[in-house]
Amino acid sequence: MIDLVAQSLFSGVLSGAYYALIALGLALVFGTMRVINLAHGELVLLGAYISYTAEEKLGLDPLASLPLALTLVVATAMAVYYLISLIKTDRELNSLILTFGIGVILTNAVLMIWSADIHSTTTPWYHDATILFDTLFAMQAELVFAALGIVLVGAVWWWLEKSWYGRALRAVASNRDAAKLMGVNPQLTEVLSFAVSGLLATVAGVAIYTAKVIQPSLGHHLTVKAFIITVLAGMGSVPGVLLGAVLLGVVESLTVTLASSALQELAGMVLFLVVLLLMPSGLFGRAKRRG
Amino acid sequence: MLLDLDGITVAFGGLIAVGDVTFAMAEGDVLGLVGPNGAGKTTLFNAVSGLVRPTRGQARFLGRDLVAMPIHARARAGIGRTFQVPQPMHELTVRENLMVASRFATGRIDRERIAEILDLLKLGHKADADAATSLALTEQKALEVGKALATNPKLLMLDEVLAGLETAGKRAFMHTLAEVRQRYGLGLLIIEHDIETITRLCPRVVVLNFGRLIAEGSPDHVFNDPEVIRSYTGGEAA
Ligand SMILES: Nc1ncnc2c1ncn2[C@@H]1O[C@H](COP(=O)(O)OP(=O)(O)O)[C@@H](O)[C@H]1O
Ligand SMILES: [Mg+2]
Repeated sequence: MIDLVAQSLFSGVLSGAYYALIALGLALVFGTMRVINLAHGELVLLGAYISYTAEEKLGLDPLASLPLALTLVVATAMAVYYLISLIKTDRELNSLILTFGIGVILTNAVLMIWSADIHSTTTPWYHDATILFDTLFAMQAELVFAALGIVLVGAVWWWLEKSWYGRALRAVASNRDAAKLMGVNPQLTEVLSFAVSGLLATVAGVAIYTAKVIQPSLGHHLTVKAFIITVLAGMGSVPGVLLGAVLLGVVESLTVTLASSALQELAGMVLFLVVLLLMPSGLFGRAKRRG
Repeated sequence: MLLDLDGITVAFGGLIAVGDVTFAMAEGDVLGLVGPNGAGKTTLFNAVSGLVRPTRGQARFLGRDLVAMPIHARARAGIGRTFQVPQPMHELTVRENLMVASRFATGRIDRERIAEILDLLKLGHKADADAATSLALTEQKALEVGKALATNPKLLMLDEVLAGLETAGKRAFMHTLAEVRQRYGLGLLIIEHDIETITRLCPRVVVLNFGRLIAEGSPDHVFNDPEVIRSYTGGEAA
């Protein structure tokens, strides 16, 4: 029993790493544009399917398919950005309807192109088991992408903290008009946040393709998870996103182990409601935060 | 001309916040903008800095048409302003605030100028503190001025930066402003309620009431104008 719990904690942490990639992208776009991109999970899914096709048709290893997947997903993210930028009034509200619609279209496109079958990588190495500390089990894919995920989250954190464009992004997220008056072009930061969000989504997609299974309806669930994590984190703190992601991963994994896999999605929702009721500004959010 | 406003009108629905305002400033001019609460002073700043779009009228800055220019481009062109209510950036330190302004408005980080600004505004000891949480009100106001100065403006618009300060604080800040102007040779457009302050700082004043320009001239002339006195004592502008 102890072993089982330890194992599910460990698996939860591993899932948390790619959840964090998805949530960070959603949070970045929300920070700079005040837009909740409801098609974000579909971008992740698109990355996963491109990796599948690259493996199936071109014989590319999933990791080697990253450049191709990145190009196509980031291009799609730019198209989503372009459509959002056409909204002239009430962007925060109207973008919900727009991105929801884009999500539905993308899901159906995936269904048409790739059918409803489920897929996972056929490169055996990714599914090979590794045993850590004599008791904890992980697939190679989980370890590789957990490591990559943490490195990427760290890199984005560094970029936001220390680079000029990162600081500009934070300035726009913090106070849009004041940032413009400092000479920051808000469109540039919006494009950047969408591009980075597409990049993170792609890596998460390939992680899911190698460590889990993919199917066309997955995108929507991923968006919901990313949203839950972002709210848990209190909007806009990178370490908060990572911790929120791990927390969601662990709660889901414990629910599956101790109760039933049918309750996995529900567990996240319950966690979300509990935090929202008890700590409205998130687990790591500040009480005083604009917007 | 540094700033040239011609018939600027800003309407919010039926409310004319700024009505047909025309005046000009030459480079290096110091101009006071006064008038009772709600007269349209801040709205005029918003129109010049790009936060609201005038309903009618022409605005030129160093000969360039402002009306269609986005806000960040105005900042790069040399328009700096402060907000009546300080608008610090979360998660940026005081120094980072100035560095972002310097980097994005001028294209390069002028560390020397930033150090000078921190020094002038007596923010040196708070340079690495979080701008949103660790500054007293006077320091927040100083940071507002600092952010604007870091963009290397040719026109600095100050929206009630002295309001709420003690007499001694006011004196010190006025002294700082005089130093800033001397060092950087910029034009100042100053919104201020206190008549004594305006009289000391500004050789020329324009007065708004209900959005209209009702008087213009030296402080002596303007503050003895019966219409201005009436507007200040709460009567309807005739
Ligand atoms: N965004 C806005 N929408 C509607 N009315 C506004 C807006 N901004 C200012 N006003 C109104 O315009 C008038 C002028 O306001 P303001 O420029 O702030 O005056 P002042 O700075 O001189 O005190 C006021 O009646 C104010 O309520
Ligand atoms: Mg005002």
